[in-house]
Amino acid sequence: MSTKEKTWWYVGGVAIIIYALFPVAWIVSLSFKAPSDIANKGFLPTSPTGENYSTILTGTASDLFLPALRNSFGICLIATFISCVLSMFAAYAIARLDFPGKKLILGTALGVAIFPVISIVTPLFNLWRQIGLYDTWLGLIIPYLSLTLPISIWTMSAFFREIPWEMEQAAQVDGATTWQAFRKVIVPLAAPGVFTTAIIAFFIAWNDFAYGISLTSTSVARPVPAALGLFSGASQFEDPTGAIAAAAVIVTIPVVALVLLFQRRIVAGLTNGAVKG
Amino acid sequence: MTQTTLPPTEKTAPVSAPGRGISDRSRAERKLGWMLAGPAFFVMLLVTAYPIVQAVYYSLFNYRLTDPENRSFRGLGNYAVILSDPVWWTSLWVTVLITVVTVAVELVLGFALAMVMAKALSSIRPIVRAAILIPYAVITVVSAFAWKFAFDVDTGFVNSWLAWLPGIGADTDWFGDRGTSLLVICITEIWKTTPFISLLLLAGLAQVPEVLQEAAKVDGATWWQRMRRVTIPNMKAAIMVAVLFRTLDAFRIFDSIFIMTAGANGTESVSFLAYRQTISRVEIGLGSAVSVLLFLAVVLIAFIFIKGFKVDLAQARGER
Amino acid sequence: MLSSGLAACGGDSGGVPTLTWYINPDSGGQAEIAARCTEAAEGRYTLVTAVLPRDSPSQREQLVRRLAAEDSSIDLMSLDPPYIPEFAQAGFLAPVPQEVGDRVTEGVVQSAIDGSTWDDELVAIPFWANTQLLWYRKSVVEQAGLDMSQPVTWEQLLQVAEQTGTTVSAQGTRSESLTVWLNALIESAGGSIIAENSTDPDQIQLGLTSDAGIRAAEVMRQVADSGVTGPAFSTANEDSNATQFEGPEAGFMVNWPFVWGRALSAVEGGTLDASVPDDIGWALYPQVDAGEPSAPPYGGINIGVGAYSQHPDLAYEATECITSDENQAYYMVSNGNPAASTAVYDDPEVVEVFPMAPVIAESLEQAAPRPQTPYYSEVSGGVQREYHAPSTVDPESTPQRAEDLISAVLRGDQLL
Repeated sequence: MSTKEKTWWYVGGVAIIIYALFPVAWIVSLSFKAPSDIANKGFLPTSPTGENYSTILTGTASDLFLPALRNSFGICLIATFISCVLSMFAAYAIARLDFPGKKLILGTALGVAIFPVISIVTPLFNLWRQIGLYDTWLGLIIPYLSLTLPISIWTMSAFFREIPWEMEQAAQVDGATTWQAFRKVIVPLAAPGVFTTAIIAFFIAWNDFAYGISLTSTSVARPVPAALGLFSGASQFEDPTGAIAAAAVIVTIPVVALVLLFQRRIVAGLTNGAVKG
Repeated sequence: MTQTTLPPTEKTAPVSAPGRGISDRSRAERKLGWMLAGPAFFVMLLVTAYPIVQAVYYSLFNYRLTDPENRSFRGLGNYAVILSDPVWWTSLWVTVLITVVTVAVELVLGFALAMVMAKALSSIRPIVRAAILIPYAVITVVSAFAWKFAFDVDTGFVNSWLAWLPGIGADTDWFGDRGTSLLVICITEIWKTTPFISLLLLAGLAQVPEVLQEAAKVDGATWWQRMRRVTIPNMKAAIMVAVLFRTLDAFRIFDSIFIMTAGANGTESVSFLAYRQTISRVEIGLGSAVSVLLFLAVVLIAFIFIKGFKVDLAQARGER
Repeated sequence: MLSSGLAACGGDSGGVPTLTWYINPDSGGQAEIAARCTEAAEGRYTLVTAVLPRDSPSQREQLVRRLAAEDSSIDLMSLDPPYIPEFAQAGFLAPVPQEVGDRVTEGVVQSAIDGSTWDDELVAIPFWANTQLLWYRKSVVEQAGLDMSQPVTWEQLLQVAEQTGTTVSAQGTRSESLTVWLNALIESAGGSIIAENSTDPDQIQLGLTSDAGIRAAEVMRQVADSGVTGPAFSTANEDSNATQFEGPEAGFMVNWPFVWGRALSAVEGGTLDASVPDDIGWALYPQVDAGEPSAPPYGGINIGVGAYSQHPDLAYEATECITSDENQAYYMVSNGNPAASTAVYDDPEVVEVFPMAPVIAESLEQAAPRPQTPYYSEVSGGVQREYHAPSTVDPESTPQRAEDLISAVLRGDQLL
């Protein structure tokens, strides 16, 4: 590559970084504007203030935000865990065993993945209120599985298919018991795939909005994206722009942290599941 | 050059333990297969199949949640009402428009991003890759708020930054009419989802044999010719998968519209229409019918892609 | 009475019954009142609050969904008046005991009583009553020589604003606020959105195409076309109006009294010049036709008791505490929400914080509620769809189209 060419690709890379970070930088900047400074028409605050953060963490909006944060973490982690366990078994079977119905399972996963959430929301709402799951953690965890399971199954079976399973037998030949072979050989090979799938499943659950606003109504189960729409200014007619921005920044921190720590894995997981076999 | 789809990687064929009866073994394997995969399968089926059957049932009734006594059978009446109503067709048109525009732009932009990432120097590659994942990972609602506040007349900076453009001033009200509202919605969607497409395309790019590229270069093919004859045909599967998934995703657009315009100025999508009928208006019957129609539309799109464009997902995903 | 009283006692051998009060978001006033009432109840009940969404249609959505599920955790709820008929008709509200009803309506502004009534029966307890005033800049009216001691018309406002290069702020956004505005215009012109009411959706007669309805559409269009509304009129809400009114080109604004507290705290926060509040004046809502008294918007919150509550008696006892004059005065002073009880407007503390208190009280007596119907959200939704954006309203055709739409929606023949 010539130096000139190199420079251009370098510029392109920097352009991508700006493209990706600009709106995030904007919401961070907005979150440091005082309520009366919100309309300053500029990108940066006139004088940065932590007022919005104290509103949502200790002030009037904390009753709304803190329980929502707890719900979001709890519900998403549980849903991620369950879907990882279920899809781990399923992916193992798909990658390793030969049985009729494999195609049916993968096809169903695909069908569920493209299912319009809104079409499920109404009947679920009706069912949930009849059986008492409305506005509960479980009432969100179950529909979240419909979001996380399909992608988990696809991604994990793609990972599992790349595991050299014959190593297990090699270990057994070398005198290891089945359990030892599994634990010492297979688990370390499979763990990265499971872990990556968990991160992606968590992203998807964390992103949900439609279920969150439709199937909850109080702080008992309401997740953060749904709570963002409920913030209020000093009175019911005032816009809570700053508080929303601050809350948006806080819910973005976990996903940004995950991205920074595991970017290589996430990229592999996203592309493996979708494109590669 | 005939097209080569992604090679199905079947690195590990199912291990066959030697010295056992083949039927015994396959029966045991079948049982084990379903025991392991069954729970996930049934959970998926339960949370989608049951609700959609119920939605079909409710869609045949005139049923308002605040007035359950007057619930009455209406047959296909709800569907007749919806399909003869311009509101439905407007929202369908808006949804299709957003889908086509965003997917087309994302494909081109995503391709450019993928090229840059493929070529980006190793010194900045990890940073670029981390950066590109951020829009993907940010919650849709958060991205919708960020762009909404950015374009808003009161809280935004866009007007003052773009004031040098003709027709844009401090008073430009982006959410004041349909065209500009849809533009901002599309920008938001494109920002958020292009990274996903570009990563899929990047993986596709990696599948293009370097030898072919070099050979074409030696033959004196221009960049554009190489692109058209070598790169794109070799990436076809990856491109189709990316387009299919993004199309179906875009068609279900809900979050951004909910946050940015709440359907004002004719920006309502089909998902938002369904939401408003059932959740806001508590007209369970009418809303269920909209939901069923939305479902059928999604099935139709998937069908057209898979049959019409011959997107073989199984092949693309290395399944047989 | 007796049996439910027994149930209330017998049901809670485990301790003090907890009453949950679903509140609209505010600046903490209702939570404080709940704490005060818990203390005053001396162990008979504990009142806790749960927050509802910010805008009233979403509040209704949440409550309707829960009540349709026969949720017994809803003991009390802060209701926006237009939705009260729907709740009452659906049987979501526990009947108001006679003697409680008598006590809580004594000395309460008429519009708040009307707003709590459905089918000639009191179904909710008036808590606070909101109304829009006409806010103006003293310097602007002085410059134009407009006499604000006399009622003014919309036309005059537009004229003066044009003449002085200032703005008239109103709510042109597609939301409940637009219905509020249209309703005030029609009522001021002597009509009503619903001409003939009924519990049967097919029998409701609309009044949008009446003379008053057409007149209202004319005024709405006139304001939108005047060029003095400031930017982004079609998305202007109460808050952006208030921002505009604190700005340099401010002239007039129709808005709720929260704008006063908002301006004062902006001064306190150092982002607004102290001279601005001094320049703000207030008067009754503008008239549509000169000489015809205006019908200002009526809003606020009334308290409903959930039909599935396990402690309706205690809940009604709690409503009496919540709506005591003392608590209403506290709420008005601390949160800026005007009281429903007339006595509060004589409270010196209230008058000190709200120098416009007498005008608010007068406005409340004159105010007209929005259409009282169990199908309010359909009526309002239809209005918003046809009358937005205000600059596209055609007095010749818009009212007819809106009537056709709303009627079709009520018959179930059209989507909304």
